[in-house]
Amino acid sequence: MNTTRRRFLAGTAVVGIAGAIGTPAIFGKAFAQASNTLIFAAAGTVTGSWDPSSHTVAPQITAEGFLFGRLTLCPMTPDNPGEILPDLALSWSQVDEHTLEYKLREGVTFHDGKPFTARDVKATYEYASDPGRPASAWYPGRVDVEVVDDLTVRLSTKAYGYPALNFWYVSSFLPILCADDVANPDTLKQRPNGTGPFKYVGTTGDQINFQAFDGYHGGKPMIENLIWTYVPDANTRVLGLLNGQYHLTERLEPEQYASLSKEAGIKTDRSLSSENKYLHFRCNKPPFDDVRVRLAAFHSIDREQVLAVVGEAGQASNCHISPVKFGFTDVEGYPDYNPAKAQALLAEAGFPKGQGLPEIEYITSVGFYPKTREYGELISAMLQEQGFPVKLTTLEPAAWEEQLYRRADGQGPGHIVDVGWITGSPEPDLVLRPNYHSSFALINGINDPEIDASLDKERNALTTEERLKVLQTETLPLIAAKAPSISLFSSVFLRAMSDKVDGAIFFPNGPIDLSKATLA
Amino acid sequence: MAFAIEFFLRRLSQGLLIVLLVAFVIFTLLRIAPGDPIRIILGPMATATAMEETARELGLRDPIPIQFGRFVMQVAGGDFGHSFIRGKQGGASGGSQDGAMELSQRASVMDLIATALPYTLILAGLGLLFSFLIAVPIGLAAGLNPNGWQQKLGLYMSSFFVSLPNIWVGVVLIYLLSAKSGLLPAIGYRNIAYAIIPALVVAIEMSPVMIRAISVSIASNVQEAYFNVGQVRGISRNKMIYRHVIRNAAVPLLNVFGAQMIGMLLGGLFVVEYIFSFPGIGLLTINAVFQRDFPIIQAVAILASAVLVLINILVDFASTTIDRRLKF
Repeated sequence: MNTTRRRFLAGTAVVGIAGAIGTPAIFGKAFAQASNTLIFAAAGTVTGSWDPSSHTVAPQITAEGFLFGRLTLCPMTPDNPGEILPDLALSWSQVDEHTLEYKLREGVTFHDGKPFTARDVKATYEYASDPGRPASAWYPGRVDVEVVDDLTVRLSTKAYGYPALNFWYVSSFLPILCADDVANPDTLKQRPNGTGPFKYVGTTGDQINFQAFDGYHGGKPMIENLIWTYVPDANTRVLGLLNGQYHLTERLEPEQYASLSKEAGIKTDRSLSSENKYLHFRCNKPPFDDVRVRLAAFHSIDREQVLAVVGEAGQASNCHISPVKFGFTDVEGYPDYNPAKAQALLAEAGFPKGQGLPEIEYITSVGFYPKTREYGELISAMLQEQGFPVKLTTLEPAAWEEQLYRRADGQGPGHIVDVGWITGSPEPDLVLRPNYHSSFALINGINDPEIDASLDKERNALTTEERLKVLQTETLPLIAAKAPSISLFSSVFLRAMSDKVDGAIFFPNGPIDLSKATLA
Repeated sequence: MAFAIEFFLRRLSQGLLIVLLVAFVIFTLLRIAPGDPIRIILGPMATATAMEETARELGLRDPIPIQFGRFVMQVAGGDFGHSFIRGKQGGASGGSQDGAMELSQRASVMDLIATALPYTLILAGLGLLFSFLIAVPIGLAAGLNPNGWQQKLGLYMSSFFVSLPNIWVGVVLIYLLSAKSGLLPAIGYRNIAYAIIPALVVAIEMSPVMIRAISVSIASNVQEAYFNVGQVRGISRNKMIYRHVIRNAAVPLLNVFGAQMIGMLLGGLFVVEYIFSFPGIGLLTINAVFQRDFPIIQAVAILASAVLVLINILVDFASTTIDRRLKF
């Protein structure tokens, strides 16, 4: 058949009209989701093992929030950071210096149908606190668990020489595993089996599928299916929310949060997190092995300007732990922006106006935390203004992470490193010991006997009141005065969701409680 | 026939050398660039001892030439290895400090590529179709009317399209066609409708080169003496265009298509798939780069260079059948 100009024009007109009229009819509902299925566009994904003791990865901790129960629940609000609510335990008490007792909830079952008992608590705590487990750094040390009866356990730290009170807040963080799974680590790795509101169905590519658990002790969730879809690009997550393909997303940039706040059909959530953003000094090499140089850098940085750059994603705080952590206080004498003091300290350290300082490499990431490049440039300029010869190195997350921690020889690359530290319990030691105790000092390498002594003192306090006092009046002011790192601000998590989602509760370390949420 | 055999033998052996060279460069660059896959496999707080142990298990502490030799032998046997990060179900899953997944639990690179390839082919096919629909009428009209408004339209449109970054076009099209109007889905893939907006972005990126190539090639032929002589001898203008001008213009167009368009298409698809979370080879590769999943990056680089080399060989061969002078 010959194509004539007339046929061609007629054909294109038909295609055009079909496009204009037919497309919405054909595709209008093409991406509507199955009812009662919530799609969560996540910024990260899980590890290759479902064993909670095998990793320290934040996105998996969020996934575990859907799947597992814990003995207690800490909402971690800035107004009452030490508040503890029941979860799998209904009550708890301190028996003596080395013993905590928990009374457990009756009638709870695991996703595989096995009943939850004291035996599971014993298996979980003794397994996860074993120093051989990769995530044992989260826990204060080994613990023995005595099964008093099916619904009563006693945590004992007597054999290991530290107060049991160290588990007071950690108990809200450790996912409770089934004892039979703990006995079989391969099963533990391959599929999660918790007591949480959602059970694991399977993984397809970058999608993880969860289903409401009929036997959840708090009542079956109203959202029937939950799909965790890993979407690395923040713009894609936002656009997917706007076009209705996703219902909920996280880790928004401040600009995205601002524009989504004005969108019809979208709700936003802004909540203080348990993460602070730090600039760690490499304290075990010059010039930051001198506290005066560290403090001079501290006094050179105007943190108000940094916060202006960070916008909605940050909140001012003068402390090395977040306001949602037990022990937080606005530290008196926290080093402020004071160029004159910076100059005096530099001169006293033998570097008047920065003369004689080596080139200082400031390592930061881009694409992981909000605005790191922007405020990195600002901080570099402020330090340069005081005479610090700073060179800013901006790396994508994988390269940055490689540079972040100290290596086998105790040294780490560069001199200043930007990083956040997020943990899932009000327990302050989850931040303080890995970062400031000389036996860890994972990034800054500080080795200061006074800081070590103060950290041990607060850890060994016999009551929460005593511990609070030591933290607020001794430990945190001492860390600020020694400045192994600068805590720049506390991070604020920015999320957005369809206005059809109601009743979602967000925790400051990332997990989301959807057990009572609805999807209209 | 003898020419064809000699041609393919010569060009394929040259091509193999090029692919080997590309493989070696990519292989080496991955290992000397910052970003240790072991940190991603084991997670942020892995100890130095655990990291060394895993690196040795994966053979990453051997000298690069030894690693490369081992890799080439493996590829020669048809095996591109297993992902460092992805499990058998295909999902990214680094960060467990219990060590790297057992080999049997890690996804085979060829399986991952075979799963992703059909999506990429759909997107590439639709993108090419849209680019032809845009570029052929505009390019032809511009080439046949080198002094008319059609030529100006072709020039302005290609200049306009070439100045639009595909990331920006992608975001704007998703916003307009999906988020605001609800006409089309945009993120991920469930049916062909999901490929339309990304394919439009691919087409907008590719059509300027096509418009320019078609218009320049046609215009140069139209301005040659044979075009007017043919018409003086009684052959209609349309016949001259269809039977002679287009045929003569085809050789440079084929070269542009082979040398430039396929390269552009491959590059464009990577970015477009990432923006649209489209589950093809591009998304797989970009995530592999972020996660330092060396086996996937190596395999995709080798396959992409092999495809480019093969297409160029085929284009050159096709050119010789269109214009037999090129045989010599």
